[in-house]
Amino acid sequence: MKWRKLGKIFDPDTHGLLAGCVGWAQSPQPLVLEDRVRIYFSTRMLDPVAEGKYLSHVAYVDMAKDLETVLGVADEPVIALGALGTFDEHGIFPMHVVPVGDALYGYTTGWSRRVSVSVETGIGLAVSRDGGRSFERAGDGPVLSATMHEPFLVGDGHVRRVGDRFHMWYIFGTDWKRYAPDREPDRTYRIGHAESADGIHWTKEDEGRRIVADVLGEEECQALPSVVEIDGRHHMVFCFRHSYDFRTNPERGYRIGHAWSEDLRTWTRDDATLTVQPTAGDWDSDMLCYPNVFACDGRVYLLYNGNAFGRHGFGAAILER
Amino acid sequence: MLRWRKLGLVFSPQALPERPPWLAEFAQAPATLLFDDRVRVFFSCRPPAGPAGMYVSRSAFVDLDRGDLTRVLCVSDEPILPLGGTGEFDEFGTYPVSVVRGGDGYRAYYAGWTRCESVPFTTAIGMATSTDAVTFEKAGRGPVIPYTPDEPFVMSGPKVRRFGEAWQLFYIAGRRWKVVDGRPEPVYKIRMATSPDGITWTKHGEDLIESRVEPDEAQASPDVLLRDGVYHMFFCYRYSSNFRGREFGYRIGYARSTDLTTWQRDDDHVGIDVSDGDGWDAEMVAYPHVFEVDGRTYMAYLGNGVGRSGFGLAELEGDLA
Repeated sequence: MKWRKLGKIFDPDTHGLLAGCVGWAQSPQPLVLEDRVRIYFSTRMLDPVAEGKYLSHVAYVDMAKDLETVLGVADEPVIALGALGTFDEHGIFPMHVVPVGDALYGYTTGWSRRVSVSVETGIGLAVSRDGGRSFERAGDGPVLSATMHEPFLVGDGHVRRVGDRFHMWYIFGTDWKRYAPDREPDRTYRIGHAESADGIHWTKEDEGRRIVADVLGEEECQALPSVVEIDGRHHMVFCFRHSYDFRTNPERGYRIGHAWSEDLRTWTRDDATLTVQPTAGDWDSDMLCYPNVFACDGRVYLLYNGNAFGRHGFGAAILER
Repeated sequence: MLRWRKLGLVFSPQALPERPPWLAEFAQAPATLLFDDRVRVFFSCRPPAGPAGMYVSRSAFVDLDRGDLTRVLCVSDEPILPLGGTGEFDEFGTYPVSVVRGGDGYRAYYAGWTRCESVPFTTAIGMATSTDAVTFEKAGRGPVIPYTPDEPFVMSGPKVRRFGEAWQLFYIAGRRWKVVDGRPEPVYKIRMATSPDGITWTKHGEDLIESRVEPDEAQASPDVLLRDGVYHMFFCYRYSSNFRGREFGYRIGYARSTDLTTWQRDDDHVGIDVSDGDGWDAEMVAYPHVFEVDGRTYMAYLGNGVGRSGFGLAELEGDLA
């Protein structure tokens, strides 16, 4: 199996963004519809009350199923940010949308700023009844958040229904650490797993277990897990990086990782069998991040961001077997 | 109406001949644990405020003579719990605390404090264990009971009780942050959760006590005592604005229940109020804790400045009925 790159498919400079947004189309997350693929992503506005800081909003682009033709771009956020003091007050990034009955469940990662560290996150639930154009949150608080052995930074929820169970793969923080006296604390996070009967009430069956092995050691950060079934085996794609000096140093920045499982519980890390590598001189020359793997009309696709965490859009690849 | 005989301020950090820096002022949220010869009263206190006027809270205990509760035997040498690490929910405070016998020794449930950017703080409830009720070890780095859509922030004021096999946790959950004169002030309501083991909690999911003085009434310190098949709850409540003075500050309320879920609020029955004049409890009475010692019933409570000068006691005259 290998990925054939389709190149950058959405560029905010070319295709436009919501009014007031200044760039970024991060963490593309597909919803496969009859005649199109709706791809949700997070984009940024400047925060009018906090100088130099951003607010992330979720928008979408509708694309033809070839992932080449842009059919339209949302002209307003699909969900408002949370109220004062709530977990998603300062941004929603990312959002994963899943059909459940007649509704669409959107699993949001809400961001709120802290004082001693930059941010805390939690996973919220928002429901759409208009085909995914707008979402209403299920409450002011999260459906999955910090617990005894996952003490902070719960986010990046990716939900799949297998049989009559809902599975969620997500990330939880393991450490906030200052790597030099003059540096702000940097965070480390790993991939976890929760289950639910209804997609609303979640149980962390094995709280605190890091389900995917690291290759960079204790300071490996893993983010944005997504899972697809190929020929009866479950494949997880995610991104990983070093815990610090990862923003501008291509040697330490995000790359795409892979693991597989037969039973959705035990995962074997195996980046080499399903790898996607930087292309020198191209939009993904220094960084590959925020992947999402999905099936559409019998084919398997990968969406991902390239350099600068998706500031200039996202691209795609198709699986060749 | 109940009749309480006030015994006065029984413990004041400021009245100690010497005291460590972490015990500069405040003795908040008293909660007792009975021993053969003494009544251990856990409380929360503060070192002097930091540069921006921000406090941290610590928790400690004072032992009172079981035969004469106005007599202080000793004060703990150290706080019973360390503060949390960078980015953890209890990095800036452990307050209040409630201790019960259980497991292999003692269990403490406490609120941890962290600082936020848009609002001053949020809190979450953690758990710690002890074999001697002097020093406690945290059961994890995160909270024991998570935020949920209907309990989005400021989970605090835990009071743990064991009326039979089950564990009951009474606590408060934030409802909204109300901006008063440009300052966000939290509105919180009394909630409950039940557990078979004190670790895995099921939230009741409803406010226990209807709001009386205004819809945004804040309710705190739900303290429940079982006698003759009736649950008696003492709590405190305040207005949402201008509550730092006498007129709109904390008062003690009362409710009763026979099933723990349906509560009849009857504040007129409580029988304790602010004192006349300019005494230590003339502006407010707050954070009640009701307990029985050798056939007598006492209330420990806070006065002006929510316990800045310490806590006092009152003794019930007649029956709790």
